[in-house]
Amino acid sequence: MGGQACVLYGAAEFSRDTDLVILADTGNLTRLRRALADLQAEVIAVPPFQIRHLRRGHAVHFRCLQPDLLRMRVDVMSRLRGVGQFAALWRRRTKVTLPGGFSFDVLSLPDLVLAKKTQRDKDWPMLRRLVEAHYFQGRDHPTSAQVRFWMRELRSPELLIEVARRHRSACERAVRRRPLLQYAMRGDLVALESALREEEDRERDADRRYWQPLRTELERLRRRRVRGA
Amino acid sequence: MIQPEQLVEAEWAEWYRLTPAQRWLESEKLWEAFLILGGSLDPEPDTQSPFFDSRASRPRPAHGRSGVRLVRRGGV
Repeated sequence: MGGQACVLYGAAEFSRDTDLVILADTGNLTRLRRALADLQAEVIAVPPFQIRHLRRGHAVHFRCLQPDLLRMRVDVMSRLRGVGQFAALWRRRTKVTLPGGFSFDVLSLPDLVLAKKTQRDKDWPMLRRLVEAHYFQGRDHPTSAQVRFWMRELRSPELLIEVARRHRSACERAVRRRPLLQYAMRGDLVALESALREEEDRERDADRRYWQPLRTELERLRRRRVRGA
Repeated sequence: MIQPEQLVEAEWAEWYRLTPAQRWLESEKLWEAFLILGGSLDPEPDTQSPFFDSRASRPRPAHGRSGVRLVRRGGV
């Protein structure tokens, strides 16, 4: 769902780790434990691999000790800030099939974009590229759902102005939800850039607030682990 | 209409034009190059991550040098 999904959707060329979003129920965790055992994956750091931590929204971090995997990292989560429950993510997932016939499921692009709105600097250029790549691939024959997605999520000022010009009435409807589109309709690049920065700052703040209680819990778990060591 | 090359470098524009399956295969080649060059799969400390633990010990690469970090520009 993370870096590898960014590769598939065109925003990155390479990712060193693998992030999985899973349904946190007992049966599924048993299956995942089995798969991780095949990779000789061990939990690193906190929290431990327990259903309650996944349900709280924590990530569990693994390092694979199987010799071929060269200590690859796998991170497992069950809840992501700003996106729906797992059932909705699963319903909206994208299936990617490789030329050999192997296929796998990836977080849908709209869900990935929401999940990437974090406090980290490195996620924001990624977000811009994710939607840019989608726009360039689909703009010649867009569906109305695609146009709505671009109105909500494009972060490239030049493209927002273009999409506002080409889909005027959709933009007029979308401006209530995303007021900065008014600058796109006016073609005001400077105001649009400034509003995009403010939008980003708000999302970063929201992410910090979301993680504050979880960080406190992580700190408590770290202290408990040190005392128990 | 704006062309990808007006916003991003030519390599990125080319990457945008690939299908997901093509990107996957190209990324596999980058993986191979990364490993041949001695790249480490241990992530760099991400101080902005909510999971960052400043006291955590970090494994050092066997060759004693810092790992190769990015192949081209778009690593995550």
